[in-house]
Amino acid sequence: MPLDTSAYSLALLRVDGRRWNELRRIHAQIRTQAAADGSSYLEMGHTKVMCVVNGPSEPGPRRGATSGGGSGGGQSKNAEVAVNIVIAGFSSVDRKRRGRGDKHILELQSTISQALAASLHTHLFPHSTINISLHVLSQDGSLLAALINAATLACVDAGIPMTDYVAACTAGSTSTYAANDEGADPLLDMNHQEEQELPGLTVATLGDSDRVAVLVCESRVQVSRLEGMLAVGVDGCKQVREILDRVVREKGIKMIQEGTVERGVGLNDMELD
Amino acid sequence: MASLKRSFESDPFAQNISSKVYVRSTKSGKVQKIVREVYLRQDIPCSSKLCNACLKIAPRDAANRPISFVLSEKPAGTSVFTQGHYIVPDTNAFLSAMDLFEQSSAFYDVIVLQVVLEEVRARSLPLYNRLVSLTKSEDKRFYVFFNEFRLETYVTREENESVNDRNDRAVRKAVKWYNEHLSKTSKKAPAVVMLSNDRDNLRKAKEDDIPAYSLADYVSQLKDGEQLLDMIPELEERDALIEKKPGQFLYPEHYTLSKMNTGVKNGLLHQGIFNVSPYNYLEGSIRVPAFPKALLILGRENINRAVDGDLVVVEVLPKDQWKQPSTQVIEEEAVTMNENPTEEGSDLISEKERKVLQEEAKRTLAKTTEGHALPTAKVVGVIKRNWRQYVGHIDQSSVSSSAAQGRKQDSVFVIPMDKKIPKIRLRTRQVAELLGKRILVTIDAWDRTSRHPTGHFVRSLGELETKAAETEALLLEYDVQYRPFPKTVLDCLPKEGHDWKVPASMDDPGWRDRQDLRDLLICSIDPIGCQDIDDALHARALPNGNFEVGVHIADVSHFVKPNNAMDTEASIRGTTVYLVDKRIDMLPMLLGTDLCSLKPYVERYAFSVIWEMNSNADIVGSRFTKSVIKSREAFSYEQAQLRIDDASQQDELTNSIRTLLELSKKLKQKRLDAGALSLSSPEIKVHMESETSDPIDVKTKEHLPTMSLVEEFMLLANTSVAAKIYEAFPQTAILRRHAAPPKTNFDELANQLRVKKGLDLSVESSRALADSLDLCVDPKEPFFNTLIRIMATRCMMSAEYFCSGTQSYPEFRHYGLASEIYTHFTSPIRRYADLVAHRQLAAAIEYEAVHPAVRSRGRLEAVCKNINVRHRNAQLAGRASIAYYVGQALRGKATEEDGFVMKIFSNGFVVLVPKFGIESLIRLRDLAEPEPAATYDAETYTLTTSGSREVKVELFQKVRVKVTDQKDETTGKRGVKMELVSTY
Repeated sequence: MPLDTSAYSLALLRVDGRRWNELRRIHAQIRTQAAADGSSYLEMGHTKVMCVVNGPSEPGPRRGATSGGGSGGGQSKNAEVAVNIVIAGFSSVDRKRRGRGDKHILELQSTISQALAASLHTHLFPHSTINISLHVLSQDGSLLAALINAATLACVDAGIPMTDYVAACTAGSTSTYAANDEGADPLLDMNHQEEQELPGLTVATLGDSDRVAVLVCESRVQVSRLEGMLAVGVDGCKQVREILDRVVREKGIKMIQEGTVERGVGLNDMELD
Repeated sequence: MASLKRSFESDPFAQNISSKVYVRSTKSGKVQKIVREVYLRQDIPCSSKLCNACLKIAPRDAANRPISFVLSEKPAGTSVFTQGHYIVPDTNAFLSAMDLFEQSSAFYDVIVLQVVLEEVRARSLPLYNRLVSLTKSEDKRFYVFFNEFRLETYVTREENESVNDRNDRAVRKAVKWYNEHLSKTSKKAPAVVMLSNDRDNLRKAKEDDIPAYSLADYVSQLKDGEQLLDMIPELEERDALIEKKPGQFLYPEHYTLSKMNTGVKNGLLHQGIFNVSPYNYLEGSIRVPAFPKALLILGRENINRAVDGDLVVVEVLPKDQWKQPSTQVIEEEAVTMNENPTEEGSDLISEKERKVLQEEAKRTLAKTTEGHALPTAKVVGVIKRNWRQYVGHIDQSSVSSSAAQGRKQDSVFVIPMDKKIPKIRLRTRQVAELLGKRILVTIDAWDRTSRHPTGHFVRSLGELETKAAETEALLLEYDVQYRPFPKTVLDCLPKEGHDWKVPASMDDPGWRDRQDLRDLLICSIDPIGCQDIDDALHARALPNGNFEVGVHIADVSHFVKPNNAMDTEASIRGTTVYLVDKRIDMLPMLLGTDLCSLKPYVERYAFSVIWEMNSNADIVGSRFTKSVIKSREAFSYEQAQLRIDDASQQDELTNSIRTLLELSKKLKQKRLDAGALSLSSPEIKVHMESETSDPIDVKTKEHLPTMSLVEEFMLLANTSVAAKIYEAFPQTAILRRHAAPPKTNFDELANQLRVKKGLDLSVESSRALADSLDLCVDPKEPFFNTLIRIMATRCMMSAEYFCSGTQSYPEFRHYGLASEIYTHFTSPIRRYADLVAHRQLAAAIEYEAVHPAVRSRGRLEAVCKNINVRHRNAQLAGRASIAYYVGQALRGKATEEDGFVMKIFSNGFVVLVPKFGIESLIRLRDLAEPEPAATYDAETYTLTTSGSREVKVELFQKVRVKVTDQKDETTGKRGVKMELVSTY
């Protein structure tokens, strides 16, 4: 039987061999679906998600048929961000069917929608809708963070103007709530096992500023430990932003080299290798 | 089109990532495939103080404190490794010889590999916990090296390689790495030695030039190795069993786990805890949900290597093989006395056993009284062994004369103190030293080829019958934690020590929300010599004619804060254990007998329950508060009684005790009217000589009205508190319940009463039972009623702690006390449950915030489970201690006493002597020489002997017995022996 999270204190190593302040391996790609306006694929450890963005688009002539728009779109001054999440049945160990009205999924959708609506320049696209489809292929903790990161990348790919990256990650604490251990180390980027056993939160910041865009904590933890967890989480978001930024830049350079797009005016003095 | 396919090469991180894939099956039988990431790194230090390179990469925690290095720079050497060495044991070494690693004479500087730790955890959680506590002990210097996360020592499983082989390879690779790594640090670096008991692993290590030894070879290199050698089990030979011919198997094979699981799910097999009858070692019983009565398991072959307490799976035999429970007493030692421990007989059942069994069979066949046969089953597999360490002594008769002198390894039998445990075959080199000693042994295995389980020696407790050895044996046998409190616990005590006082200034934070009750006339009433005074009382008349009554309980929760080391220790100990001459405290002395104890004339913190009662003892109002009190006097029961009886004492304090007594009588009457049972168990007291503390006399305890005074108010306080905390925490209140006993429990007793005395026992409700017990009187014999009460008590369920969310409200009922809801609140110094109740009550009255530990249901359930076990063990240990001292007190004396027959077998009967509170078996062969023939009539419970001595013994009969002491050769205990003098 593999060890559980209580073994951390033995050698300051987590269940997967990381230190307290280390992210898992993040791998990301953008423009994975040529047919979509924007798309991305992102892995945080074994959590794997895909994102496709369509829009901003104005509602078609057959109003009412496009139920994806919902109440927004039409009259409002800002574009509406509609998020749709599909969690594949095979994504977790136990094959679990989630219905359409699953509360957990609805909450994830609205969280992501609100976070993006705040950083995208939605006022540029009145009466229109930005459709974000997220597909979860594999789950191993930090799902909300991975979804936010993938959605950010896909929006960048779609060319929707935005203030900055919305970069997210999770943070936790090395001992359980009941243990009430004041000296517990904070943890960065929790995997599934850690999420099961330890308290944790998800945080997203705007770019590399300390401005928190999303903060979700669904477990019980002592207030005294919260500050440390939040600090580590914000720090992690900055690292995630660097990684996302690198992915975007590398893809951009590649596209220029391949001649897919023209070299922009400001890019003349930029080195392309 | 962009492709999702990606290669790892482009990723700088990728080469250091691996994943662990394993398959597990869940309880419901599903198979799950789990994939976990593993990040391989190079900054996991070797933790040797010699190594400077690793010091630089020592990991730091969030507060930037580096982890300290464990392995010493000058490790001990052996005869082979004079330069010093570190040890790397493999999994089997830990699993089979954990005791060895806990020795203080050797086994320092040990490297515990992660792979080993994981395997130990998978195989045995208790051993894992012991290993983890070793790694946390500072002086043993155990270091956990996470080899699976270090790039250099990680191994991937090869094709066709078993998991075990892969793990063994990982161990070897880690040892090799350690040796190479340390050789860089200095020329005379310590060697890193692998210890294994697996031949295959040792051989492969030799091939790779890795220093490796079997445990036995290693220990013999140590200076004092001789004594340790016995603690080592045999070298393991994989697949050794298969080579044996099938004809040699003595026992049927156990089913595979999956076969058992399927069987249990289909309802074909049944799962339960195996219990051995205390009178007959060849008879066991098992309670399963599918049958209302316990299933019977008879005979060695059907028991099939199950040991008392194991979780086993049984198969019910066809109806024609059902038997009735034996009416004979069969003691293992008497039957298997002459077995030879070195040679295994080829027959499972020896001649003698066969004879005993045949007699049984004859009897059952002779009168196949319909309906008397019980469902009988056989064990088909063991799900979980519940083996612990057993206290016993070496059977003198199993020792060959040559072994008693030489150093040769020899097989002997160890007879455990617990009669339900079979003899254990032990291989030892120190027979001569261990003879006549109390020793601690563990069971290693029980093969199909071996009639008895095999085990190994752990340590010696001392000479048989010495007070120290017997007391320790008792504590070990009942799993009582008796080691002194560790420093971490003592650090939690108040710094002032005995000088601690209630702060004089009322502004002190200690006084926050505390009521000042120092002017009340409070006193405590306890047994003589009581030092840990939990409770004190007061009563005073109110102007409106009512009375104010207060129960004040020591405020232990003020000193013991949740989740610190002291709290954890107390929750493990669960209760204070009272032995005749010794008390094993739950809390350190400073608190128990001083700071918390409500001693007279000093101010103490208390938790008070205060009622207003009318003269009918009906409660008009009640409140709970933390308080400061000053007890005026600490009475003993006798002193208090004398004061009450002395009419000339008219001071306020005495009068208030009289008030309490009056009220308590009314409370008791109300309780009895509601159907509370007054049960009985023989209670006696051993008088000790004050200087030598040798027992000199045995007396039955007297019952004084002042005892029930205290009892009534404690019951009332407990009930009030239970209602309060349940109201505040409907899901997580800690309560105590006493389930109504199943009616079938009383079948036997009711039948006996009807046949022998023409009395009826009705058990519909506790009220009916209480009434019918009151009617069970024999005008000629006043003790008869008590006897029946003792026997009825044994038919009851035992009361238990539980967490309110786990039961529905009607199940809360306390059957014996006839109370709807009950908890323990009044003895927080000696019971952990009371301490939890205190915390919950404090939170319920909003004195302090609710601590997570007292509202997490999972944790409370774990606490309840533990304290239920501890509570029971403490009772058993207390009784065993009394039994031991009664034996000592009677030493060399012979008296004739009256006794009563409690139980009858076809070859003996059990007599209870009320004066000493002891019961003992008188066998037919004790009656006369040669053993008289006897006929037993199960219908009328009558045993009639003929031949060498003619007596007729009936159940409930009063008999005259001669009580002497005798050292029981089989268990090595000194106990009483009774001889029948005459029947009345």
